[in-house]
Amino acid sequence: MYAFISGPMVWIAFACFFAGLAFQTMQFLRLSQKKELRALPGKPKAKKKKKGKKAVKKKKAWTLAALFAWADGLFVRQLESLRTSLLGHHVVMAGFTILFHILLFVVPIFLLAHNILLRDALGLSLPSLPEALTDALTFVFLLCAFFFLFRRLFVRQVRAISGPYDYLMWLITVLPFLTGFMAYHQWCDYDLILRVHIIAGELMLIVIPFTKLGHMLFFFFYRFLVGTEYSFGQGKRAW
Amino acid sequence: MTSQAQPAVRSDEIKRLLDRKKDKMKFQLSHCMRCTLCAESCFLFKAHDKDPQYMPSYKVIHSLGKLYRRRGKVDRAFLESIKKIVWKNCVLCRRCYCPVGIDIPGMIAFARSICRSQGVHPDFEGDAQQSWL
Repeated sequence: MYAFISGPMVWIAFACFFAGLAFQTMQFLRLSQKKELRALPGKPKAKKKKKGKKAVKKKKAWTLAALFAWADGLFVRQLESLRTSLLGHHVVMAGFTILFHILLFVVPIFLLAHNILLRDALGLSLPSLPEALTDALTFVFLLCAFFFLFRRLFVRQVRAISGPYDYLMWLITVLPFLTGFMAYHQWCDYDLILRVHIIAGELMLIVIPFTKLGHMLFFFFYRFLVGTEYSFGQGKRAW
Repeated sequence: MTSQAQPAVRSDEIKRLLDRKKDKMKFQLSHCMRCTLCAESCFLFKAHDKDPQYMPSYKVIHSLGKLYRRRGKVDRAFLESIKKIVWKNCVLCRRCYCPVGIDIPGMIAFARSICRSQGVHPDFEGDAQQSWL
């Protein structure tokens, strides 16, 4: 069993993960195609040309004082946008969620044990963080995860829209980290915990594209791709 | 109010409407993280002492979400309960903010059109007289 879950099953999980992401990407691109708009009745009015002198634009003198004023304005604008963002409204939640999502990637990718396995399998590996550090980061990750669980259980707004599916998704996300932490410290039956850890990791990879965990990919699509279409892009996508 | 018997709900008609936008709506419903970060962007939520039923995500999950889960097989009482959510609890001001970018007003509007197809909508004599606040 161990040979299967640590061998072919890993590649099956990765194949499902990447194929699923590719499928969902195509689905997103198909669904966000611009619909044909009906032509409005009547001809559009021709724009009248403005008469008169062209406004003379004053050249801005880039003195040191102007540079400081510009930098000051930029700082104020950035501060204002930060204040009105989620980070400003929900400081604790935003802090925990940023930390949680960074660690969700950093810990497994730069973990020494994973990179040793990767080197054995492919002959190449990524740089690894010290084991003591990844152990501490896993603990921080678990703290963040339990913060989300308590929030889901005890904040009435979150509880009102939570169901068994949300708790299952939480478990699927946390289980690889929890079992990994337990296996590193050799708590309980090491062999059993290690097997559960491997299966939990593979399960997580398989379900990511097909569940709400797919926001791993779609967060960037929703937030940036559609927005880009209305700024730098050709405005061909509608959501 | 008249005591005329209401016509039966046409489930096949609801199913047909649901299927028309099934891909897009289910795609968006499945990507709602239930994070409740959209709540603060709704002025009705704030005006009602942060009552969860005014959260944009709650309104979508308990209207369109339930319609898809039941595959359109609903009765009139169910549609009446949705009516309150999609008309009285939401004014479609389009100010709700979803961190994942889900088009919440678009989904509420779609739920409204499904209710309207079965003759379930606010009437000017009764519902429209009530205040939103």
